[in-house]
This record gives sequence, C-alpha cells and structure tokens, in this order.
Amino acid sequence: MADAPRTRRHKEIRRHAWIYAAITPYVIIAIFPIYWMAITALKQDPDLYRMDQFPLWFHLPPTWKNFSYLFYSTNYGAWIVNTMTIAAWVAVITLLIAVPAGYALARLRIPGSENLGIAVFMTYLVPGIILFIPLARVVAMLGLQDTWWALVLVYPTITIPFCTWLLMGFFKTVPMEMEEAARVDGCGYFGALLRIVLPVSIPGILTAVIFAFTLSMQDFLYGLAFVAPGDQKPVTVGVPTELIRGDVYYWGSLMAAALMVGLPVAILYNFFLDRFIQGITGGVGK
Amino acid sequence: MTASSSSSGPDAAGARAAAVSIAVRARPRRWFASQTSRRLAFGYLLLAPAVLYVLLLVGAPFLFSLFLALSDASVADNTASFVGLENFRAAFESDVFYIALRNSIGFTLVAAVFKGLLGTSLAFLLLQPFWGRKFIRGLVVIPFTLPISISVLGWKWMYDSQFSVINWFLSQIGAIGSYGSADWPVWLGEPHLALAACIMVNVWRNFPFSAIVLLAGFTSVPNEILDAARVDGTSFFQRFRHVVVPMIAPILLIGFLFDTVFTLSDLGVVYLLTQGGPANATKILPVLAYQVGIQAGALGRGAAIALFLFPLLLPLMILMLRNLKRREY
Repeated sequence: MADAPRTRRHKEIRRHAWIYAAITPYVIIAIFPIYWMAITALKQDPDLYRMDQFPLWFHLPPTWKNFSYLFYSTNYGAWIVNTMTIAAWVAVITLLIAVPAGYALARLRIPGSENLGIAVFMTYLVPGIILFIPLARVVAMLGLQDTWWALVLVYPTITIPFCTWLLMGFFKTVPMEMEEAARVDGCGYFGALLRIVLPVSIPGILTAVIFAFTLSMQDFLYGLAFVAPGDQKPVTVGVPTELIRGDVYYWGSLMAAALMVGLPVAILYNFFLDRFIQGITGGVGK
Repeated sequence: MTASSSSSGPDAAGARAAAVSIAVRARPRRWFASQTSRRLAFGYLLLAPAVLYVLLLVGAPFLFSLFLALSDASVADNTASFVGLENFRAAFESDVFYIALRNSIGFTLVAAVFKGLLGTSLAFLLLQPFWGRKFIRGLVVIPFTLPISISVLGWKWMYDSQFSVINWFLSQIGAIGSYGSADWPVWLGEPHLALAACIMVNVWRNFPFSAIVLLAGFTSVPNEILDAARVDGTSFFQRFRHVVVPMIAPILLIGFLFDTVFTLSDLGVVYLLTQGGPANATKILPVLAYQVGIQAGALGRGAAIALFLFPLLLPLMILMLRNLKRREY
C-alpha cells in the first residue's frame, strides 16, 4: 500500500534531479557575468588584479569604496537623475499619444484600423541605425544637441509604436457593453473614454509606462550620437563612455556603476517580460 | 473579433428597420450617419498625434536619409549638394565596406544558429513542470532584460587581456596553460577571437529571448490536439514535426525576425567591445556607419552605408507584415 506513493515520489525526485542538472548550465551561463560584476565591484584593487588565487571569492574584506567613488567623484548621480527624468518624460509623452491612438484603433471602428495598427507597429522595427544620422540633423535644427532633451524627443519613436500596439490589444479586451451603457446614459465618446475605459485599463497603462522606461534604457545608439556633454548623458551611455579615462579601466567602479543601474532595470523588466513577448507575438501565447 | 461583430450592429439594425417599414427609414439612417461621422472624427483626432509623431520622427527622417545618401552633406559645412550615387559608389569601392557587409551577415547567421540551438533546448526544459520553474525562468532571462551597454561592459571585463576570468576557467580545466603562460588568448586582440567574442555576447544576450518566444509558442498548442495525435500512435518527433511546428510557425517566425532585425542593426556590442577592430575584424555595418557618419562627420557617406542595411532588413519586414496580417483577431 505504502509502496506506490513512495515509488511515485522517487520518480518525481529523479525527474527533478535530471531537470535541475540539465538546466544548471543555462543558469550559470546566464547569471555568471552578473555574479562576476558584483564580486568585481565589491573587491579591493589588490584583491582584484591578480589571477594566481581563486578569483571567484574575496581574499581581502569586501569594500564599498567603488560605490562611494561613483557618487563623490564622477557624474554618476547626474546620469541617474538624467535617465530618470528622460524616462519620466518619455513615459508621459508616450501615454499622451499612445493611449488615445491605441483606443481609437481598438474601439472606434475606423476604416482600415487593422492596417494602420500594423503600420504603426512596423515603425517599431525601423532600426535606429538607419534613422540616427538624419535625426542628428533634426536634433541640431531644434537646437537640442548636447542636452538630454534630444533623447526625450527621439525615444518616443521607439516607445509610441510599441505601446500603441500593446494598448490596442489591451483595449480590445475591455467589454464593449460598458462604454455603450455609458453612452446610453448620456456620456460622449470622450467622456466614455475618460470615465469608463481608462479606469479599468490601469494595468495596461501601467505596463505601457514600464515599457516606456525599460525600452528607453535599452538604447545606446541615440544616447551616444546625440548627447556629448559629460553631465547630460543618460546613465547607460555615461558609464561606458565617461568612466573610462583614456586606456585605463577602473573595473571596480565600472562594474559597480553597471550593476547599480542594470539590476533594478533587469528585475523590473523581468516581471513584464511576458507582456512584452505577448505584445510582439500578437498575443498568440495568451 | 469584438470590433468586427459589434461593427455590424448599427448597420444590421438599420437593415432590420428598413425591412420593417420604409417610412421610418430615412430618420434612423441620418441618426446613424451623424453618429458615425462623429465617431470617426473623434477617432482620427485621437489617432492624429501618434501618426504625426511617427511621420515626423520616423517617416521624414527616413526620407531625409535617402536624400542625405545622395548628397555630400557633412557636419563641417551646412550646404549640401546633390551628388547622385557617389556615396554608394564610394562605399562599393572601399574594402572596409565589403568587410563590414560580410561580417554583418556572418555575425547574424552564426549567432542565429547558436541562439536557435540554445533557445530550443532551454524552451524544452522550461516546458517541463518542476519545482521553482518560475524562479529559474526569471534567472535565465536576465541577460535579455539587462540594458545592453551595461552587460557589454561586464563582458569587456571578462575578456580583459590580463585578468580574463574566462581564461582562468579555461586554465582550470586544462585547456590552456596556467596564469602568465603565453597561450592565454587575448580575446579582443586577435581577429578571429574578437569576432567570436562579439558573437558570444549577442548569443548570451538573446538566447533567453528565443527560449521565451518558443515557450510561448509551445504552451499555445492545445493539449487536446497533442493527445489526439498521441492516440493516433504518433511518435514524439512526428508530433513535434507535424503538429507542433506548423502550429507555432507564425510565432516562431515573428521571434526570429525580431531577433534578426535587432542583431543586424545593433551597434552596442561591437562598438563597446572592439570599435570594429582589430584590423576591421569585427567591423559591421552599423559600426562603420557610425564611424563614417558621426565620428568622421561625413553624414552623406554614413547615411548611404546605413541604408545598405535596409535591403537586408526589408524582406524580413515584409515577411513579418504578412504574418501579422494573417493573424486572427
């Protein structure tokens, strides 16, 4: 009697052992670079620059000096503020433009809305490398070169198409009856959007905000090409371009700087990754 | 689906009204007509900012880049004159351009093979139910979620000429000599190794994406269909080849196209690791376009080089477009 569950249990344990054994190499490949960054950031220099002893652990006590160096002796603090401010502006612009567009495409039965939606989404795929040279001229014409405002202008070209597409899918899932009921009660189209559709779409809108944030953090090209002054750069460009002086790499502080931005963004993005995949594959996996 | 079924609502009602009585026909139709035009006006009003933004900052710059590519525009002087296909001719006549084109294509193909292999095997593993699967999945996708310039910096340190932790591993398992011996490879300093190193970073960064897209595909195949095929006595590979693959083909294609577009046009990895060196071994089109267009200030030349990516990307985009249009709502 007691044998059957036990063998089943054994089988389960064996199965798990196999799966963990098979998946461990992938996990190591995926997170080893992050572990290496972390330990580099926390090591003292005499401990860091030697290869004759086991390098994956501390031989001298860990130190925070690489982190404090960033805030006291570099523009790191300014870059983080820049990045946050840029992301906030991009999120606001994206919402103001993508929410109405997504709603119009999903709900207002505009002729050809299907094709329009696809066209907007396709612009997400026009790579920056084709656009950055003419955009450099646009940025210069508007007098925005050399401030981070240039990025507030160009990042929405990435986020608007994606978020419009995402919100379009989202608005389609809101039941139509609610709006119709509101209109019967004397609400205009705008009133129905404002009072009925938006409140129930908060999760979708929040997702769009997160993407406005994470997608603009994934950029490197625009930041590199449009913003030259050291204190105006976003953190993802400032760290690799400004913290390296000539040929000297201060790896400890570089890794500290990379980790402090990288990890929070990676974790945040992680929670919304499924929405991203759903977005680009058109919700097939829902 | 909701949109199309409800869009027939007013018309159907109108038709019914018309069938019932001809006398009341005119009035409801006018009411619907004005309702429709109000709705459409509102719709276009809401859509206008997005369309304008995209036209002004994607459409216009794209056309502008066509113009730049046909001109001798440079950062130095503001007057640009038309030079015809001169920039394209110059590109075709330079060896660096061919090297960059070849590297771009080779980079993308080789990286795609590895991403496909790693991604597929990982997706099969993550498809199994096991304890802690969500957590493991969260760990494995970190490379994809990390901002690109940040993770490339980490790799640059792992490829360091003296203190490469990769070399330390290799020497631990005996593949190369101990620290200080002459056979420690300088990853970013030797032409073939440098290109391999760049490809490795791209694979590391994007294989989780392949896995997650595949996983989304696999889980979208209804179990009933697989069970039906199993009842019919098919083997695992038959089911995979004839049931799963055709069903997830659209999602696979979109994932693949996405990854290819972003790999082909990515500047970050190579720019931060090697700047295209040593001796142009890792020069790819985006890096060349950046160096010529922005660093050397020859906007026209740079735009022409960047535009060479377009014929490479265009077929992919068209495939994607057809795929999206076929998808059901």
